[in-house]
Amino acid sequence: MDFTIDTEQKALRDAVRELAGSLADNAPSTGDVPVGPNEHDEKAWSALAEMGVLGLTVPEELGGMGATPVELMLAAQELGKARVQSALPEAVLAAALLAELGTEEQKALLEGVSAGETLIVPALHEPMCSFSLQAHDVTATESGDGWALSGTKAPVRYAAAADRLLVTARAGEQTGVFLIEGAQAEGDVVTFDGASAQLVGSLDGAADALQRAVNVATVALLAEALGAMEGALAMTTEYLKSRKQFGVPIMTFQTLTQRAADMYVSVELARSAVQFAAMVAAEDPGATDHIRRARVVVGKAGRHVGQEAIQLHGGIGMTAEYAVGHYTTRLTAIEHTLGDTRQTIGELARTVRDHGAVDVFA
Amino acid sequence: MHRHLSEEDAAFKEKIREFFTTAIPEEIRTKAKEGRELTKEDIVTSQRILNEHGYAVPHWPVEYGGQDWTELQRHIWRDEMQAAGVPQPLPFNASMVGPVIAAFGSKELKDRFLPKTASLDIWWCQGFSEPDAGSDLAGLRTTAVKDGEDWIVNGQKTWTTLGQYADWIFALVRTNPEAPKKQQGISFLLIDMTTPGIEVRPIKLIDGGREVNEVFFDNVRVPGDQLVGEENAGWSYAKFLLGNERVGVAPVGMIKRWLAEAKEYAAQVKQGEGVVLDDPLVAARIAELEAEAMALELTVLRVAGNSKDGRPDPASSILKLRGSQLEQDTLELITDIAGPMSLMWSEADGGPVPVWATVSTPRYLNFRKASIYGGSNEVQRGIISGTILGLKG
Ligand SMILES: Cc1cc2nc3c(=O)[nH]c(=O)nc-3n(C[C@H](O)[C@H](O)[C@H](O)COP(=O)(O)OP(=O)(O)OC[C@H]3O[C@@H](n4cnc5c(N)ncnc54)[C@H](O)[C@@H]3O)c2cc1C
Repeated sequence: MDFTIDTEQKALRDAVRELAGSLADNAPSTGDVPVGPNEHDEKAWSALAEMGVLGLTVPEELGGMGATPVELMLAAQELGKARVQSALPEAVLAAALLAELGTEEQKALLEGVSAGETLIVPALHEPMCSFSLQAHDVTATESGDGWALSGTKAPVRYAAAADRLLVTARAGEQTGVFLIEGAQAEGDVVTFDGASAQLVGSLDGAADALQRAVNVATVALLAEALGAMEGALAMTTEYLKSRKQFGVPIMTFQTLTQRAADMYVSVELARSAVQFAAMVAAEDPGATDHIRRARVVVGKAGRHVGQEAIQLHGGIGMTAEYAVGHYTTRLTAIEHTLGDTRQTIGELARTVRDHGAVDVFA
Repeated sequence: MHRHLSEEDAAFKEKIREFFTTAIPEEIRTKAKEGRELTKEDIVTSQRILNEHGYAVPHWPVEYGGQDWTELQRHIWRDEMQAAGVPQPLPFNASMVGPVIAAFGSKELKDRFLPKTASLDIWWCQGFSEPDAGSDLAGLRTTAVKDGEDWIVNGQKTWTTLGQYADWIFALVRTNPEAPKKQQGISFLLIDMTTPGIEVRPIKLIDGGREVNEVFFDNVRVPGDQLVGEENAGWSYAKFLLGNERVGVAPVGMIKRWLAEAKEYAAQVKQGEGVVLDDPLVAARIAELEAEAMALELTVLRVAGNSKDGRPDPASSILKLRGSQLEQDTLELITDIAGPMSLMWSEADGGPVPVWATVSTPRYLNFRKASIYGGSNEVQRGIISGTILGLKG
C-alpha cells in the first residue's frame, strides 16, 4: 500500500486549492451570511467544470477526464477545506451510474454533466424513511414503451436546479433506477404523479450498480469531510493561541490543548480511512464493506471534530459570521448524506459473521 | 430515605399538571415542543398566565409572588412545566435578576421592579459577557463613572440573549478600576434599554436564528437609584445569580420529554420492513440516555435543596454540566433518527417531511450553545475540581 500521490495529482490538488480559495473569498462572510444547506451556485459550478473537476471520474470517451476516485478525493478535500459546498458528490453518483448502465443516448448526457451544463442528481431519499437504496413508497409501473413514476422523494438536494433526476422506484419486488426530465420540484421535495421516465439499465442489474455509484460518491463526501475537519482543526489551533482569557492565551489551559490533540488524532485516523476508501474505489467500486468502514470512521471523527471545534472556541464558534461553525454544519450534513453512520453500522453489523479479521490488503 | 410522593405532593403534581395542560394555550406548547422559535408574544402570554396563578416565580419571596413550596414541589413544578411544553418563565427575569433584586435590592427597588419582572411587563436581558470577558467575566471593561447622582456608562456587552425584545438590561459594570482585585471594582446596574446612547445589533447564529445581540453603550446616563445593593459589590451578586442559573438550567423535564418524543419519531420512520426503533443501536442509545437522565433527575432532587445562605452548592455545577450534555446527546439522537430528512432545514408545516425532522439539524447545532453559556463545561469542571475536590493548580 502506498499513500503518496504523484506530481500530476499534486498539480490537480494545488489547482483545486487555488480555485476553492477564490470561490471561498467570494462568499459573503459578514452581515447576513447564509447558513445551512446551500443553493446550487451556477458560477461556482461552471468554475469547477472548467477545471475538469465535475468530469474527473467520467470516462474520457464520454467526455470526462477518465481519472480515478483518488483524484476525486484530492479535489473534494480541497473543496471541504475551503467550505465550498456543491452538488459534486450527487453529480458523481449520477455520472457513475449512467456511465455503467446507460444507453448510448443516456451516456451522451455525460458530456454536458462534465461541462457543467447538465445537472443530474439522484433522488433516493423518501419522507419518513431511513436511508436505503431500496425505494420504499415510490413506485414505477410500465406504461407504453416507458415507465410511470408515482410518489414523493425528499429531500432531493439540488432538485430545483437539476435538469434530470435519477430516481429509485419500486417495480414489483425490485427497485429500479429511472431517469426523468423536467420533474417539478418544490424546494427539496419532488412529487411524481404518473410522470414518465426511462428505466436505466435493467431492474436486475440496478441494485449493484447503484451501490457502486454510491460508493464512488461516498469517497467524494468523505474527502470533503476530511477537508472540513482539517479546516476546523486549523482554526481551532490558531484560536487557542490567539484568544486570551484570564490574561493568558487559552492554550495555557491543558484541558483545551489535550482536546485539540484528540481532534488531531481523529483527523489523522479519518485521513487514513479516506485515502484507503479512494484506493479501494479506484480498484473496485464494489468493495462496499471497506467503504462502509471508512464511512463510519469519518462520520464519528466528523462529529467529534465538529463539536469540539465549536466548544473550544466558546461563543464565537456559534456565529454565522465566523467560519468554524459552518464546518460543523457541513460535517453534520455529510454524515447524513447518501447514508449515515447509524445505518452504515447496521449494514456492517449484518455481515460481521462473514469474515474473520478485516484484511486491508484484500 | 423514602421514595414515593406524599399524598399531598401527589395531589400537588396532579393539580399543576392539569393547570399546565389546560391553562396554557396548546398552540404555544406545541410550538415549543416541536422546537420552533417562539415569538415574544408567545413567551409573554404564557408567563402572564403563569403569573396570574402564582406559577411564574414560586422560588421568590412570598410577598413578591413566591410560593411557600418545598424544594420537591419546585422540582415537580419545573418538571411538569417542561413535560407539558410550557415555555419557561423568562430566565433573565425569573431566575436571574428577580432573585438578585429580592436578595440585595432596596425596598424601593423591589417594589419598583419585582411585580413587573414577575409579570413580564418588563423584559430583562443579561448584560454580563463582553468580547474580551467571557469565561473571565471579571475582566469586563464596560465602565460606569459617577456624574452627580447618576452613572455614565460606556462600553460593550455581547451575546445578549433576546436583547432585541428587552425593555431593561441588568449589567455588570466597572465602577472602580483601581480596586486591588478586579472582582472588587464591579457594580450591578439596572438600565432602561430606551436610554439614549444604547445600540443593539443582532448576531446571526449557525442555525440561522438571531437570539443573541451585541449591545453598545455610548455615554449612557443611568440614575443612581438603579444600582443594586452596594457599589463595587456586584461580583458577589453575579456569583449568586450564576449559581441560581446553574440550578435552573438542568432541564430534566425537557430531556425526558425529548426522549419520549424521540421514541415516537423512531417508531414512525420506516426502515426496511420495520421502523428505526427496531434498530438495536437506536434502542440502546435511547435506553442509555434514559438511564442517564434518571441519574440527573435524582441528582437534581438530591442536591437542589442544598443551597445554603444564598450560596448555591457547588454540586449545582454537576447539573449544568450533565444537563447540557444530555440535552446535546438527545438532540444528536433525534437528528440521527431523522436521517436523510435532517438535510432539510425548514419550519414550514404541511410538507411530506415533518417539522421535527426539518428542524432537527438546526436545533442540534443551536444547542451546542448549552455547554458554552452560563459558564462553559470547562468552567464547571474547574469549579468541581477546585471548590469541591480542592484541586487548585
Ligand atoms: C447562545 C449564547 C447565548 C448567551 N447568552 C448570554 C447572555 O444573555 N448574557 C451574557 O452575559 N452572556 C451570554 N452568553 C455568553 C456566555 O456566557 C459566554 O459565551 C461564555 O461565558 C464563554 O465565554 P466566551 O464565549 O468568551 O468563550 P471563552 O471564555 O473565550 O472560552 C473559549 C474556550 O476556552 C475555554 N476556557 C476559558 N477559560 C478556561 C479556563 N480557565 N479553563 C479551561 N477552559 C477555559 C472555554 O470553556 C471555551 O472552551 C451567551 C453565549 C451563547 C453562545
